[in-house]
Amino acid sequence: MNKSVLIIRREYLTRVRKKTFIISTILFPLLYLLLIFGTSYIATKSSKELRVALIDSSGLFDRGLVNRANMEDSSNTLEYFTGNTDSVISNFSEMGYDGYIVIPPANWESGLPEITLKADKTHGITSIYGIQNKLNGIWNNIKYQKLGVNEATRATLEKNKISLREENQKDKASNAGIATGVGYLSAFLIYFILLLYGSQVMMGVMEEKTNRIAEVMVSSIRPFQLMLGKIIGISLVALTQFLLWIVFALIIYNITKASGGSSNMMSGALEGIQKVVSNINVPLILFCFGFYLLGGFFFYSALYAAIGSAVNEDMREAQSLSFPITMLVIFAVALMAPVISDPTSDLAVWASIIPFSSPIIMMARIPFGVPGTVPYWQLGLSMALLILGFIFTTWFAGKIYRTGILMYGKKPSWKEMLKWAFRK
Amino acid sequence: MSLLEARNLKKYYATQKAVDDISFSVAPGSIFGLLGPNGAGKTTLLRMITGIFFPDSGEIVFEGKRFDPMKDVERIGYMPEERGLYKKMKIGEQAMYLAQLKGLSSSEASRLIKQWFVRLEMESWWNKKVEDLSKGMSQKLQFVTTVVHNPKLVILDEPFSGLDPVNSNVIKDEIFNLAKNGATIIFSTHRMEQVEEICDHIILVNKGQKILDGTVREAKQKYKASLFRISFDGELPQQEHPSFSTIKRESHSVVVKINEGSSSNEVIQSFMNGGASINSFNEILPSLNDIFIELVEGTPTARQFQTVTN
Repeated sequence: MNKSVLIIRREYLTRVRKKTFIISTILFPLLYLLLIFGTSYIATKSSKELRVALIDSSGLFDRGLVNRANMEDSSNTLEYFTGNTDSVISNFSEMGYDGYIVIPPANWESGLPEITLKADKTHGITSIYGIQNKLNGIWNNIKYQKLGVNEATRATLEKNKISLREENQKDKASNAGIATGVGYLSAFLIYFILLLYGSQVMMGVMEEKTNRIAEVMVSSIRPFQLMLGKIIGISLVALTQFLLWIVFALIIYNITKASGGSSNMMSGALEGIQKVVSNINVPLILFCFGFYLLGGFFFYSALYAAIGSAVNEDMREAQSLSFPITMLVIFAVALMAPVISDPTSDLAVWASIIPFSSPIIMMARIPFGVPGTVPYWQLGLSMALLILGFIFTTWFAGKIYRTGILMYGKKPSWKEMLKWAFRK
Repeated sequence: MSLLEARNLKKYYATQKAVDDISFSVAPGSIFGLLGPNGAGKTTLLRMITGIFFPDSGEIVFEGKRFDPMKDVERIGYMPEERGLYKKMKIGEQAMYLAQLKGLSSSEASRLIKQWFVRLEMESWWNKKVEDLSKGMSQKLQFVTTVVHNPKLVILDEPFSGLDPVNSNVIKDEIFNLAKNGATIIFSTHRMEQVEEICDHIILVNKGQKILDGTVREAKQKYKASLFRISFDGELPQQEHPSFSTIKRESHSVVVKINEGSSSNEVIQSFMNGGASINSFNEILPSLNDIFIELVEGTPTARQFQTVTN
């Protein structure tokens, strides 16, 4: 059997047979779901229901208006306070209020100045917005009353709001909301896999070096074959894990479908998935995902392999040397938000073409539509550059690896490693 | 024809001439000793022979053809001084993996490994992990993985370090066996007593250069100091004669150095004339250890960094 195949097979099998692989394959999607649902659950639960005393010096507010607003939105409570205002101001927390608001004397036509919620704690911005909205609602009602607008007219005024939706003429199916979701998801997955499996490559190389098996190995095969075998083996592990996730997703999808949308939530979820599937080009996205996953992985893991070969058993050395590489990946993720909010900007175009960030950024853009948002030339250029990029990093890393793997002692600096790479 | 011939090998690092113009040849079926103090350049030399490093200049001829690392590594077994195995792998799998990397098919690898395991009483190890082995046990495994593919050339760097005397002997017998069956062995060490016992031919390197090349016997002849031990019955004679000078007096013998221009017969004659009864008369040959120390001494024990100009 070909020696490279032997190495790939060993790297693949030892990892796939590990318990940690099986556990992480099952647990990761669960944790991911937990993370998404958990955070949104916590976010809704954690905003506090504020109870605020409203002291009106303008004479425009009344109890009826305030109570009606409270009934419409129960996420906080405004209490129209009449009585001894001084006692509220000095003892609001003893009286069970989180804070109080004093409406200054005002004329309804000239409007209100900025109003302060006085509290003894700092509350989150969501809670404050809730109260601001409620106050604005009441204020509008006051103005309607003063202007003599009746219920019917008001309903007409409020009903007729314009909502704007974008339709890309080149790609009518594209839907910005779904594209954003799919873009974020795929870009994040690539990001996770790059860092997770990139560091596995680094650890694998370090293991070979500290176990001193490197010298035994390179007396049978070229160092470059050993490095490439490891990278390819681990990339296959990543792909296997990803395929298993797709299989899980399909199984769960089919089970829920078979169980006939028994609950509203499930049928809602099914509809959502069907909508996503009908809105995006699934085969194209899967193909591009595979391409950018592998391309990005080869690009970065070669660099991680070079670092693993250069350091000794000390994990801290490895971390400090790999920091610049990890920063590049994180930088690409940081670019994702502006790119998704405007996927055709110059930043988005260039970041999706330059190989350092293209695996993550291009995957964030593709769901917005090819060739609508991402013209073919951009996709082609980006793919070509990524291929050239990983050929270069692999060559470059191979040179460092060859020297580093048999070198013990002091940790080399990046400068020395560059010297290893570029000497004859 | 020699199995391996190194011609004017050079390998310079940034701060050291690790190997500076070394040539030697290894006869087929011989056990060849590569000796030298720490840092002499032995490992660099071996790494060039095993194709791990390319020499800066010079050439290596293997079985009469220019050494081709891609192809010839399958005919070489190399056990580096720094042993290494994958800790988490099972012993059987590990041996299979390394054997297949040397070009054996999996059925062949399995057959040969089992054969070796039986021979070295390692059958029960197959499903154990490397991390469960003691140092001596993993040394044995390392030896098996080095020789399992029946290499023409076996290179062993300090093969006995970490082995107890019993296992040392087991491995030593296997080394003799390999040589008897036609393999050539290069044996690198700084343990001289093993070299005297095992090696046919030796070279000694120091500071990147070869300073001795020959058989063990030749080396001893070359570096002998004309010392003889004469033992007597009864009283030691207080003999003085221009043909020798006394180096050391022991309880029943004296060590003499025969002066230049004189022969051993003259010395014996002079003692006999003095009426002493000679019990034995032996030449004292230097041990390799003495030769080693004599040749290497005077040079600093640690290599100094030097500037290299190519």
